[in-house]
Amino acid sequence: MKKKILIGLGILSLLFMLIGAYVIVTVDRATSRLDHLVKLHQVEILREHLLLQIKRVQSDLAWSGTRYASGVDTIVSHGLQMGKGIDRCFLCHHSPQVTEGLVDLKRQTESYEDFLSHVLTLEANRVRREAEKDEAIRRGQDLIAKVNGIIALTSRNLESNTRAVFRQIAITKTMLFLLIAVGPVILMTLGVLFTRALTRPVNTLLTATRRLKGGALDHRVEGLKDEFGELATSFNEMAGSLKEQMQKMQRTEQMVVVGELAAGLGHEVKNPLAGIKAAVNLLSEELTLNREDQDLFSRIVEQVGRLEALMKGFLNFAKPPKPQWERVSVNEVLETTIDFYLVSHRPSSQAFGGIDIQKSMGDGLPRTMADPMQLQQVFLNLFLNAGDAMSNGGTLAVKTLYDAPADSIRIEIRDTGPGIDPEIMGRMFSPFLTTKPKGTGLGLAICRQMIERHGGSVGAENDPAGGALFRIVLPVKRGEEEVKATW
Amino acid sequence: MKMLLLAFSLCAVLAAGCARQETAAPPSSPPEMTLLIGLTPEHNIFKQIRRYEPLADYLSEKTGVRVTLKVLTYRGNVIDNFQSLKLDGAFFGSFGYVLAHAKQGVVALARPEYPDGSSSYHGVLFVRKDGGIRTVRQMKGKRLALVARATTAGYLFPMIFLKRAGVVNPETFFREVYYAGAHEGTIDDVLDRKADVGVSKNTVYDRFAAENPRIGRELLILGESDEAPENALALRKEIEDSVKGKLVDALIAMHADPEGVKVLKAFGARRFIATTDTDYAPVMTYARELGIDLANFRFPAEE
Repeated sequence: MKKKILIGLGILSLLFMLIGAYVIVTVDRATSRLDHLVKLHQVEILREHLLLQIKRVQSDLAWSGTRYASGVDTIVSHGLQMGKGIDRCFLCHHSPQVTEGLVDLKRQTESYEDFLSHVLTLEANRVRREAEKDEAIRRGQDLIAKVNGIIALTSRNLESNTRAVFRQIAITKTMLFLLIAVGPVILMTLGVLFTRALTRPVNTLLTATRRLKGGALDHRVEGLKDEFGELATSFNEMAGSLKEQMQKMQRTEQMVVVGELAAGLGHEVKNPLAGIKAAVNLLSEELTLNREDQDLFSRIVEQVGRLEALMKGFLNFAKPPKPQWERVSVNEVLETTIDFYLVSHRPSSQAFGGIDIQKSMGDGLPRTMADPMQLQQVFLNLFLNAGDAMSNGGTLAVKTLYDAPADSIRIEIRDTGPGIDPEIMGRMFSPFLTTKPKGTGLGLAICRQMIERHGGSVGAENDPAGGALFRIVLPVKRGEEEVKATW
Repeated sequence: MKMLLLAFSLCAVLAAGCARQETAAPPSSPPEMTLLIGLTPEHNIFKQIRRYEPLADYLSEKTGVRVTLKVLTYRGNVIDNFQSLKLDGAFFGSFGYVLAHAKQGVVALARPEYPDGSSSYHGVLFVRKDGGIRTVRQMKGKRLALVARATTAGYLFPMIFLKRAGVVNPETFFREVYYAGAHEGTIDDVLDRKADVGVSKNTVYDRFAAENPRIGRELLILGESDEAPENALALRKEIEDSVKGKLVDALIAMHADPEGVKVLKAFGARRFIATTDTDYAPVMTYARELGIDLANFRFPAEE
């Protein structure tokens, strides 16, 4: 965004500079043209003046020798002014072609001066004097014709020049008016675009904040870039974290309720159940019962046992035991659990085709501080769930690996069962959720509780290839200090 | 209130002081002296005046005497009318000076010395190469272009040349005798076949020949005169000696002054040198040979 703002300011500055430069250049050019035009007119005046001077000398010459003749001094003065007039032309013209023409004109003027001087100084008979005078007048007329020709030509050029200059000035004026009219529009458009580019992300973030405040913790900000994109990412992370914390808080509240309930049940249900169980056992031993009554007593004891197991799990969930920390190898714990699972639980499935165990234990897994019993309980729970899901047989794949950048151990347990119902996917680890007829709905909830008490996380998803996949991430803790710091 | 009155009074006094200062007359300076100097035409009169203008300006600046120029055309009795033309002096040709000295008592002061070291000139008599004239005898019935009666090269010399060849009366010997009024004019006329015989100063002839190759190709010099002093500045005898001295000093020292050197270069001279009446001895000799009474020399009236 910073870069965009800088680019925007740069574009605006450049635009201002370009407009300013254009205005300066066009005004300067127009001034130069006008100045040139004024000079051309001045030159035109000079030429007209020169023509007048020549005509004046011609007049002096024509009247010479008569009673109306001007004095020699006057004629000389007029002749000298004529010479200066032609010299002044050289101050203005510089192009070689024009200079050549002027040199020719000057030569002709000097020749005219020669004849004029000759007429003025000649002392001869009338015929010669008249002949010289006629020749001088002829030269003068030639000179006048030449200057007239130049004036006519330059007048035409001057007229076309003047028209061209005024045309250019009119174009310049139109362009300046357009700039004055269009310039602010362009600047305003750019200003609006830049403002929108700035305010739109801010508005998006503001809306997201308001929605978050309204409880929409799943709302995420999308489509922002640059610094605003980073801000949106932080916002989304914050929203995710907030949701997680909210869920934790909810679970904590649930735990408090469950704890209180468990405590009550412990006193109010567990003891009577123990009494019921002892009484039923005593009665079944002391009474002579037929086979049907014995079965009935056995079912009562069995149901009471189930109630006790439920209460035990319930108490475990409500008041979990404190982990007994020691440095363990996750691979070893898994191996032990698999062995135990194969010995104690696998036969029940073998009847339906058996469960194949595939192990892919990662090398170089570091030992980590953990409660091996609790880890075993978690792994066994997941194995049992997988076994239940594969009632017709299948493959249970166990994989471990060390994620060095995150310094954590990842455990994946995959089955080839029907997978997890998408409807309950989000509530998989909630207490009392079960799909089994005899389940308590506390197994996965306790698993997550234990893993989280180890500072890790557990998640479930459906494998695209089929079956369910559980991922456990355990951060590596290398000593008591780390445990104390995080627990 | 007292302070206000005091301030007002002070302002009034200052204002009065200022007013007196503004109306005070500027210090009077002596009236500027002006000398009107005539120029006898060697060249076209316009060229002549352009050539001398920088020199006049220089002299004005260096001497404090305003020097103005006036072109003389030789037409009529310029020498006799020297007073009526209100001239204070002139750059005279040699015979012009001799006449003016004899008639008006003008005094020669200085004349230019050219880059080749010469400060004099001689007259040349020339004809067209294709005109068939090689002797004075062949000039009979032709047209003679002189410069002016008050010139050595343009009048005295050809008169002597013709007299020595036996021509007593040129007016009848030639079909036409006229005065072109400038040395350039005679050269142009012979070159353009308006005259058959012409005379001029060699300095003008040589300068013209350098500019126009036709002169070397088409003209032929048949005679040359003795040397005469170049055009010199001469002033009326009534002009104060101090003024004459200033002018002479300025002219003589020109070549030592960088500004003067520039003016000399434009003028076409190396320096100015002092001139005395003895320099005009050859002209006096010519005049005597022709029997001219300088003091009573008459200029014929115009036709």
